[in-house]
Amino acid sequence: MNKKIIIAFVTGIVMLVAAVLIALMSGSYYMSAERVVNTLLGNGNGAENLVILNIRLPRMVIAIIVAFALSTAGTVLQTVSRNPLCEPGMMGINSGAALAVVGYITLSTGAYYDTLSKNKILLMPIVAILGSCLVSTLIYLIAFKKGKINPIRLILVGMGVNAGMNALITYFELNMGRGDFNEVLVWTSGSLWGTSWDYILAVGPPVLILIAIVICGYRRLDLLKLGDEIATGLGLNVQKEMTKFYILAILLSALATAVAGNIAFLGLIGPQFARMIVGDRHKRILPLGGIISSVILIIADVLARNVFSPLEIPVGICVSMIGVPVFVYFLVKER
Amino acid sequence: MSIECRNLKVGYGDNIIISDLSVKIPKGKITMVIGSNGCGKSTLLKSIGGVIKPKAGSILLEGKDIKGYKGKTIAQKLAYLPQNPVVPQKITVEELIAFGRFPYRKGLGGLTGLDQKIIDQAMEEVHLTNLKDSDVEELSGGQRQRVWIAMALAQCTDTLIFDEPTTYLDMAHQLEILKLLQELNRKRQTTILIVIHELNLASRFADHMIAMKQGKIICEGKAGRVVTKENLKEIYDIDAQIICDDKDGHPICTNYEML
Repeated sequence: MNKKIIIAFVTGIVMLVAAVLIALMSGSYYMSAERVVNTLLGNGNGAENLVILNIRLPRMVIAIIVAFALSTAGTVLQTVSRNPLCEPGMMGINSGAALAVVGYITLSTGAYYDTLSKNKILLMPIVAILGSCLVSTLIYLIAFKKGKINPIRLILVGMGVNAGMNALITYFELNMGRGDFNEVLVWTSGSLWGTSWDYILAVGPPVLILIAIVICGYRRLDLLKLGDEIATGLGLNVQKEMTKFYILAILLSALATAVAGNIAFLGLIGPQFARMIVGDRHKRILPLGGIISSVILIIADVLARNVFSPLEIPVGICVSMIGVPVFVYFLVKER
Repeated sequence: MSIECRNLKVGYGDNIIISDLSVKIPKGKITMVIGSNGCGKSTLLKSIGGVIKPKAGSILLEGKDIKGYKGKTIAQKLAYLPQNPVVPQKITVEELIAFGRFPYRKGLGGLTGLDQKIIDQAMEEVHLTNLKDSDVEELSGGQRQRVWIAMALAQCTDTLIFDEPTTYLDMAHQLEILKLLQELNRKRQTTILIVIHELNLASRFADHMIAMKQGKIICEGKAGRVVTKENLKEIYDIDAQIICDDKDGHPICTNYEML
């Protein structure tokens, strides 16, 4: 068993490094692996530095941050809701964040396709988190019945609210100008376009701290899977812990959505694959799920950038293209 | 550990199962609760185990109200196993038993040497050491029940509370489990509280029996006092034939008819 785990992690990390390298190489300005490594070591010329250090590398770092955030949030939600098919994208959390950002874009003025001002960049995560928190609180309150959170009720309410949020977003979209609409499309389908080191500074540290908190609770997460009664019998305050983890999942999703828009399925594929390979222990699936989600996101991003070059399609669409067949596979397997 | 319930009122939502129940669970003895379906046996155990909060009344552990204890502290004194626990997927016997150490684990580290020793000992006591790396899902009902019991044993508590631990086992495995619990009680004076449907086994192994009906205790005491024709008529609405066992005189219900 232990050997299998080590092999899984090593393979995952190798694949991640390979994916990052391919992503750094590819694009409208193609660079060979050698030139990429040279630039990273500080030996690149002006153009190479611009492409690698200012455009592609931050994009990769953000991709990894976002993938880890969504994968961790997904893992936690699957445990809290006792449903292996649950993920933040379908619980209304992401669409709540997206709605808030959409509203913010509509209400604020500014040039489109412009590099967003620093203030706007730092404000987006906050707006998104506010949107996520409002929607999540709404979901929590509706699902809260007689002093307890029923996992099934949580999922159903989440899906209902999700539908409502998407309806509102569509309403906004139908009423906005073309420039706004394009910007919104980018947000609602998820994109890593236009990321920079500012985004990383805004979102990186909070995500790292939150993931660290979740990983510290790995034993309690494992225990929640045994059911309310056994967990209580072993000394866990089930309601309190479920609420705590739910909040952590919300914050992680909100941060990821703030920076990359609504990317569905990452919170589902990563953890599920990890479970299939190394079993259902949170100590293993939290890191491995993150690695797998990162690999998928980076590959999807490479495809998104290059398949219809020079047009860039939102990465969320590519992830969905990989995600939907995988999701169907899991649904069939669950039967 | 002494357990006492005073004027308990417990229910689910508006459905009150137990309206006013007071009982003392004798320390260091094997107590078995019998009664018809829906009489509140499981509800009583769930209240003591901390799974349901009573609507009124109090539960005292060692004389102190249960609300004054922290969850982990209770878990170190009292191990509770529900009926039909859900088995998670892809988990080995040893990993499941290791959960029993949760109330003692600190920080982020793995299992300590002491933890491992206790886990191994618990596995040994239920005779599952040779299956320790098997998937729990793949075991038989009897083996699975033994895994849960081992997990409770790994909690190193002086009180064990099991809700119907023998219901899905065959005769041999039922006897095996009860003999195991009896041995624990004799060796370590573990207080044991079980809900059980098999009347004759209860009569044979219990030091103290409690008979419940519709949320109330209608009789408690030694088996000879509880398992009588009149009591069984009141509890189960049956006409029972009782004889006494040759070896130790405990009452056995040999045959019965509906009334």
